[in-house]
Amino acid sequence: MKHRSPRLKSWILFMAVIGMLLGFGPGAGSLLAAEKIIKIGTIFPLTGPVATAGQRCQAAVQTAVEIINNKHPEIKVPLAKQEGILNGYKIVLVHADSQGKADVGKAEAERLLNQEGVWALIGSYNSSVSKPASFVAERMKKIFMCGSSSSAALTQRDMKYFFRLAPTDATESVDFVEVLKWVNKKKKGSVKTIGVIYENSEFGKHAAEEAKKAAEAGGFKVITDVPFTPGATNLDSEVQTLKKANPDAVLGAVLGADYSLWVRTMKKANWKPRIIINYCSGYQDPVITKQLGADADFFMGSSGYSPQFASLMPAVAAVEKIFMTKTNGVPFDGNSIQEAVAMLVLAQAIEKAGSLDTEKVVKTLYENTWDSPLSLGGKVAFAKGGQNIKAQSIVTQLQRGEYRRIYPEKMADGKIVFPMKPWDKK
Amino acid sequence: MQHKGIHKKDAYWLGFIALLTMLPMVPAVTANSFHMHVVILILLFASMSQAWNIIGGYCGQVSFGHSVFFGIGAYGAGMAVVTYGGMPWPGILIGVVLAAVVAVVISYPCFKLSGHYFAIATFAIVEIFHRTFLVWDWVGGALGLDYPLVKEGLTNLMWYDTKTGYYYCALVLFLLIFGTVRWLEGHRFGYYMRAVREGQETAESLGVNSTVVKLAAIALSAALTALCGAFFAQYNLRVDTPMVMSLDMSMKFVLITVLGGSGTLVGPLLGAAVLIPLQEYTRAFWGGMGGGVDLIIFGLLIILMVVKQPAGMIGIFYAVRKRILKRNIAAKGESADGAP
Repeated sequence: MKHRSPRLKSWILFMAVIGMLLGFGPGAGSLLAAEKIIKIGTIFPLTGPVATAGQRCQAAVQTAVEIINNKHPEIKVPLAKQEGILNGYKIVLVHADSQGKADVGKAEAERLLNQEGVWALIGSYNSSVSKPASFVAERMKKIFMCGSSSSAALTQRDMKYFFRLAPTDATESVDFVEVLKWVNKKKKGSVKTIGVIYENSEFGKHAAEEAKKAAEAGGFKVITDVPFTPGATNLDSEVQTLKKANPDAVLGAVLGADYSLWVRTMKKANWKPRIIINYCSGYQDPVITKQLGADADFFMGSSGYSPQFASLMPAVAAVEKIFMTKTNGVPFDGNSIQEAVAMLVLAQAIEKAGSLDTEKVVKTLYENTWDSPLSLGGKVAFAKGGQNIKAQSIVTQLQRGEYRRIYPEKMADGKIVFPMKPWDKK
Repeated sequence: MQHKGIHKKDAYWLGFIALLTMLPMVPAVTANSFHMHVVILILLFASMSQAWNIIGGYCGQVSFGHSVFFGIGAYGAGMAVVTYGGMPWPGILIGVVLAAVVAVVISYPCFKLSGHYFAIATFAIVEIFHRTFLVWDWVGGALGLDYPLVKEGLTNLMWYDTKTGYYYCALVLFLLIFGTVRWLEGHRFGYYMRAVREGQETAESLGVNSTVVKLAAIALSAALTALCGAFFAQYNLRVDTPMVMSLDMSMKFVLITVLGGSGTLVGPLLGAAVLIPLQEYTRAFWGGMGGGVDLIIFGLLIILMVVKQPAGMIGIFYAVRKRILKRNIAAKGESADGAP
């Protein structure tokens, strides 16, 4: 008998690994096809600069599915008291990683729909990924539920199968300008000038455009406009540009780790405007806030949820318990909770339609107002184009590490600290 | 038994041509859209890498700036459809010509640098273009260009329900670029490029104008790269700067060619045939698990491959051929000794 050389053996091993890779590749999950299941695909950035946010969004959808598939009498959200939907159908999730890249997100949407045979898609956090991925779904007449992407352009495409839960950056911009007017009136703030800092992406650019539009309509003057490349390693020149212009207020669209860098760079430059308000961004991320410690205080932003909203949304606590088992104890944030809502509303629509006929479910989604205890305001309803017209957010301010509700006043649980305290006076 | 009439090299070429003739039949074999997607990407990335191979492999000028030309091609097609609401074809043509012109303009000063300094300069060029395009509203800026839903077919170079059209376009692109490089290999210009690669001073002493050769090589390489970029835009129905004009994209040109075998005709195909399925299938299988498991496995497999065969996939091919030859010689020797 001939002995194979060690070199040949190692190559055989290597090729075996490749073979395993290909053999167990996409399609392996099709064994489940015969069961009474509904496959839903998720596409989130599980790797890359906003991976932690993407992973929490994925965990939120998993949490919603756990509630839908199993009996949870202790949880006060629709479908929790029953097991499955449509008389015993269970939802099975098939996850994909967009890496935060548009082309990867699009390819994964195609794979999930064609190869894995998912019935609908949920995703994709980054607006720049949601756009092409939902385009694929629209072409294939499949539902795309978008929890947290905030670019207003997404729901201006007149798509039939696209539904977005979060408020858009257009509505948030109007809210921010209202806050500035309120500060001027209430605190004699004399905020007149605004600076905008944003990541140069679909999300950031749109947010900045909407901010400028709303600011001008509200009588404020935008005196500086500072874009930066996402994933930047240095924001010194951007902060210096802001400092030089010295606007009274800054509106920020800064995601993930860039947000920490921005805050720390402002501290290094020893500069702060009188007020800073952030779009859904690193500001909302409880992990980033914790990392920044006291430096995160007095920044403001809009949010659909934070643990301090518990009294407004009592049903969240029990759901959050399940969620936190999947995130090493990190609670919901304004983005991840919207993804859970997306899954729950879709399941309610399937149940109400009594069918897995996509057209019927789409019609049902449009025609009804949905109970949503995980949403601020408790309701979800979609307008033509797929925007949730009941979407609400509260403008909060971080004070001693806690998100204090500031505006609207009727929902407030704290008083605004205005102007922001300087870095050396905390 | 080896037929006397067929030389071994010819046999390999016949095998390669036979493989090519089978390629048009791929859509008939698999209707699975994900497998088709992978095959299309293999053809596209092999073509892109082959275009890079002209300047990087044959001419020896390692460029990390090819995503600039790729992006120009993509923006040419994208703007023709999205900005001007027309067919992509005029935009593709403009993109191809513009990429060649830009390549000559930016490379002329860079070619005065050599070795690592040239490579570093090309890195900087990508960054300059990347940032410029991100803030340039005329080309879509950070928002990028999203294709509208228009009639599918060859006229608009886009298909929705099937990937067969894209597959044949990728195949044409592949044959065009590989055919061009094969032709160059036997042409005088191909010899000039290799002479410059092996020793610029020596080549010049023999009368080769190295500057002209390098500029012509990069113009051709950039034009072919832009063609690939246009196809990429049509395939993804979106163009944005991080997608097409980034260091990440530039690295793919180099990685695939080096992995497959730089300066060889089949190297880029071998590199793409290994790297792209690995990238796509690891992501499809493990990507959803989160934590970058797919990327870790992908990285480990590349390291393993590079350690096992630093000459690239072409090195494996040569090693296998050598082993077969040795075995044949040994068998002939045994026969001559009268062994069974």
